[in-house]
Amino acid sequence: MKKILAALLFWGLIPTLLPAGTTSDPAWLQRAREALVHNHIQGRGISDPRVIRAMLDVPRHAFIPARLESQAYADRPLPIGEGQTISQPYIVALMTESLELSDHSRVLEIGTGSGYQAAILAKIAQEVYTIEIREKLYRSAGEVLRGLKFANVQTRQGDGYFGWEDAAPFDAIMITAAVDHVPPPLIEQLKDGGRLVLPLGNPFSYQNLVLVTKRGEDVSVKQITGVLFVPMTGYAMERGQTESKKSP
Amino acid sequence: MILSAVFLVSLSALAFEVLLTRVFSITQWNHLSFMVISIALFGFAASGTLLSILDTRKKGWEKRLSSRGPLKAFTTLYSLSAILSFIALNAIPLDYFRLPFESVQAFYLFIAYVLLALPFFFAGLIVSLAYAFLPARTGVIYFATMAGSAIGAVIPAMFLPLVSEETLIVNVAVVPLFLLPYRAPVLDERRLFGRNRPSTYRIAWGSLGLAVALTALFILLGTDAVHVNVKPSPYKALSQLLMFPDTRITNTFRSIRGRIDRVQSPYIRFAPGLSLKFTNTLPHQSAVFTDGDSQFVLYDLAAQEALVFPRFTLSYLGYGLAPHPPRVLIIQHGGGLAVPCAVASGARDITVVEPNPDLARLLGAHYRISAVNTNARTYLARTRERFDVIHVENWGTSVPGSAALNQEYFFTTDAFRAYLDHLTPDGVVIISRKLLLPPADALRLWAAAYESLRFLGCTPPANHLALLRNWDTFTLIVSARSLRNTAIIKDFAQKRNFDMVFIKDLSPELINRYNVYDKPFYADQITRLAEAYRSGTAKQFFQSYLLDVRPQSDRRPFPSHFLKWPKLRALYQSMGSRLYALLMSGEIVVVVVFLEALVVSAGLLVLPLFFIAKDAQRPPVAQIIYFSGVGAGFMFMELYFVKQYILLFENPVVSFTVVISGVLVFSSLGGLWAQRKKQSALRYALLALIGAVLLFLTGLDRTLNHVLGLPVIWRYLGALLILLPAGFLMGLPFPLGMRYILKNPAQRAYAWSVNGCASVLASIVSAQIALSLGIPIILGCAALAYILAWTTAGRG
Repeated sequence: MKKILAALLFWGLIPTLLPAGTTSDPAWLQRAREALVHNHIQGRGISDPRVIRAMLDVPRHAFIPARLESQAYADRPLPIGEGQTISQPYIVALMTESLELSDHSRVLEIGTGSGYQAAILAKIAQEVYTIEIREKLYRSAGEVLRGLKFANVQTRQGDGYFGWEDAAPFDAIMITAAVDHVPPPLIEQLKDGGRLVLPLGNPFSYQNLVLVTKRGEDVSVKQITGVLFVPMTGYAMERGQTESKKSP
Repeated sequence: MILSAVFLVSLSALAFEVLLTRVFSITQWNHLSFMVISIALFGFAASGTLLSILDTRKKGWEKRLSSRGPLKAFTTLYSLSAILSFIALNAIPLDYFRLPFESVQAFYLFIAYVLLALPFFFAGLIVSLAYAFLPARTGVIYFATMAGSAIGAVIPAMFLPLVSEETLIVNVAVVPLFLLPYRAPVLDERRLFGRNRPSTYRIAWGSLGLAVALTALFILLGTDAVHVNVKPSPYKALSQLLMFPDTRITNTFRSIRGRIDRVQSPYIRFAPGLSLKFTNTLPHQSAVFTDGDSQFVLYDLAAQEALVFPRFTLSYLGYGLAPHPPRVLIIQHGGGLAVPCAVASGARDITVVEPNPDLARLLGAHYRISAVNTNARTYLARTRERFDVIHVENWGTSVPGSAALNQEYFFTTDAFRAYLDHLTPDGVVIISRKLLLPPADALRLWAAAYESLRFLGCTPPANHLALLRNWDTFTLIVSARSLRNTAIIKDFAQKRNFDMVFIKDLSPELINRYNVYDKPFYADQITRLAEAYRSGTAKQFFQSYLLDVRPQSDRRPFPSHFLKWPKLRALYQSMGSRLYALLMSGEIVVVVVFLEALVVSAGLLVLPLFFIAKDAQRPPVAQIIYFSGVGAGFMFMELYFVKQYILLFENPVVSFTVVISGVLVFSSLGGLWAQRKKQSALRYALLALIGAVLLFLTGLDRTLNHVLGLPVIWRYLGALLILLPAGFLMGLPFPLGMRYILKNPAQRAYAWSVNGCASVLASIVSAQIALSLGIPIILGCAALAYILAWTTAGRG
C-alpha cells in the first residue's frame, strides 16, 4: 500500500517540478499577461513600444516551474530553483528599456537564470549572448529558449565576470546579479557609447538600479531607481541547495 | 536536593541562553535573536504565574512540588524541552524576511516563542518553588541561583573553541540530569503524597529512563543524529557565496566572539570603491566570514600586478595625500581592502589592529605583517606612537538596517579625537563606507570629524576634510593639516572617474558628473551641513533632517542607527512605501518586541488576579511595585555595564560574559550575606545601592577611560573590581524582599513572576534608551527603579 501511495505521489509531483509547457499559451494566461503589461509595465512608466511588445509576446509562464504558473503574471519575482529567481516583470522591462536597444544591437546578459530576460532582449535586439554559471539553470533555460524558437540567443555555461570575449564588443550588457564592483572585463567588452545596466546591493534587500555608460576614456554611472527585490528565496534557497546536493 | 536543582538548572539555563544567542547570531542577525530570546525569557515569569494560580486550587502545593519526585520530573522536563525546542527551532521554516508577505510566518514565530519559552518555564518553576518552599533560606537560594548562573555564563566561552554550538547546547541542556540518581530523603513523602506517591514515582523514574536514553543517544550518535546543523541565514553573504560551484569552507574556528569560516572560491571578487577605469584583473582572494556575514577578504599579493588595483580604489586617496607613508595603522572590521592599499603605497611599517584572535592570527600569517590582537580603542589608549595614515575599514553588514542595534566605537567623536591624536603632522585618517540614500553615514561621519577637529583647535575644521564617492561607496579623509593642495584630490578623482562631495574649494562642475544621481544629494546635504556649522545652526539642521545623523559620542555609539520616530512616515514614503524595508530595521524590531512583551507581561500578571477570589488575598500593590523596581533595576544595571564594557572588550558577547558572570558572582555573595540580615537591612541596602548607582553615573566614564589603557589582564581585573560593589549590593534587595515582605507561598510565586516580567521589559527598554538617549540614561533608569522599590520597601 505504501509503495502504491509513494508511486502515486511521485507521478503526481512530476508535473509540478517540470517547467510549464514550452509552447502552450492559453487565452487566460494571455489575458493575464496583457493585464500585467497594461497595469504594471505601462502603468509604471515604461513607454518604449518595442519593450512593451516584447513583454506582451514572451510567455513568462514558460520560464517558471509549472506549479507557479498561476502566479506567472503577478508583478513579482518567483523562485526557479537553485536558489535563484525570475525577476519582477517591471524590473525586466525597466532594465531592458534602459539599454536603449535597436534592431541591430548585440547584447550580453550575465546570469541567464530562467532565460526570460534573454527572451525579452532577443525580441528586440539582433543577437543576444547569455552566460549562466549554474549548470542546471543553463540547461533548462537553453531548452526553453530553443523550444520557443529563439534562434538569435547564444547560451553558455561559465563565469560571467569575464564576459564573452569572442563575441565582444557589445552595444549593451546586462548584469542580473548584485555585485560590489563592475567587472573590469565587462567594461572592456563594451563598445564606445555602449550601455551596461545592473542592480546594486544585496539581492534580498534594497538595491539601486544603475546604468553604466562608456564614452571615450570616461565611464559614468547613472542611478535609474531604487529597487527592492521581494525576498522570495530564503526557504527556496535552502531547498534548492538540498536538491542540488541530492542530484547525481 | 532542591538547592542542587536550583544550582544546576540555573547554570544550564544561562549557558543555554548564551548559546542560543550565539546560534541566532549565526542563523539570523543580532536584533532578531534579541526578539526571540527576549520573549522566550518570559518562560521564567510564566512559572510564577502558574504557581500563583495553582495556589487558589491546591493548598500545600509548594511542599508537594518541592519534593524529590516532582523535582526530578521538572528537571527532566527542563532538559528535554531545551533539547527538543532547539531541534524544533532548526526544523521550523521560519523566515523573518517573509513575515510581511506570508501569514504562516507569524505562526512559525509564535511557535518559536512558545518552544523556547518552555525550558525557561521549567527552570523558573524549580527556582520559584524553592523560594515558595523555603522562605527562611532565600539568601541561600539566591546564592545557588546566581552562582549557578555565573558558571553557566562562562561555560560557552570555555567550551566553544572545543565543540560546536549545537553539541554544546545539547550538553549543557542535560547537565541538570546529573541530579536524577540523587536519593537522599528530604521530606516525608508518604505524608506529602499519600495515595499519589506511586504515580509520582512512576513519572519521575519514567522521565529518568527517557532522559538517560536520550543522553546516551546524543553521546553515541552526536547531534547529527537529529539533523541539528546550525547554518547561516540564506540571506547572509556566506550562504550566497556557497551557492557558487567549487566553493567550500576550508576551516571553521569557534569561540564566544563568533564562528569564523574560511572559504576558498574562485568567485570571491571583493573590491568596493573600485574605479570603472580599472581594466586589469583582480588578484586571487579567499574570504573569512564571521557568523556567516561580515566578509573579510585575504588577497594574494605575491605578484606585482596584484598591487595595481588598490591604486584604483577610493580609499587610496589617503595614500595619495600621504605618499610612501612610513607608518600605517589599519583598524580592521571586515572588508580587507586596507592592507593591499597600504602595501601598494609602499608603507614601511604596517600595523593591523584586529580584536578577534583567530582573524588576527590569520591576517598576520597571510600578509606577514604585525597584526595586534586587541580592540582599536584600547590600542590607541595604550600607544604613544604616531602614524602617517590611520585607515579605518568597516563596511557594515550585508543587509541595511540589520546593524541598527550594533554598538561600535569606530566613528564616535571620541574615536575621531583618538585618531587625530595619533597622527603625524602630515597624517591622514581614511574611512570608507557604503553609500546610503538618503545620505546618512556620510553626513554623520563628516560631522563627527568636524566636531573633533574643532575640539582639537583645528580651524577652520572644514579645511581638514575631503569626501569623495563613486556609485556605492564613499571615502572620508580627515587630515591633521589643512588640505592646502586640493589639486591632488581633484586629479585623483578625475583620473579614476570619482565624484567630489566635499572639499574646501569645491566648484559645482566637479560634483555628480561621473556617478550621477537625479540630484547631487550628498554634496548638497554636506554643503548645507557645513554652512549650518559655519552659521551656528547645526542643531537646527540635525533636527530638521529626515534621519538621525547627529554625530555620536562614546555614550551613544550606534553608527548604523538613523531612524527618527517623528519622521517615520516620511522615511517610509521615501523608501517606496514598502513595509518590508522598515521591518528589517533594528529599531523597529525593538518596538515590536516591546509591544509583544507588554501584552505577554499583562497576561502573566493579570491572569492570577482573576483566580484569586478575595481582595484580601491578592498581592498588595506595594509588593508589585517593589519587585518590579528590583527586577527592572537589576536588569538596567546589568545591561548598563554590558553596554559600557563593550568599549573595553569590543565584542558584545565578551562584555556580556564578563558582566553577567561578575555581577552574578558578586550578587550571589550579597544574597548569602543577606541570609543573616534582619528586615531593617532592606531599606539600608536599597539606599546604599541608589548611592552606588549615582556614584557610577557621575564617575564611571572617566574610570573606564583609565581602564581602557591597561594591559589585558588588568583590564579584566579592573572591570570586575568595578562590578564588585555594584553586584554585591544588587544581590540584597531580592532575597531580603522575598523573605521579609512576602507572607505566603502564593505571594512569593507572584513576586517571582513580577520580577521576571519587569526584568524582560527593562532589557527591551534599555535597548531603545541606549539608541535614542545614550547608555548612561540606562543607569538613571536603574536609579529610578531602585528609588521606586525603596519607597515601597517594608510596606508589604
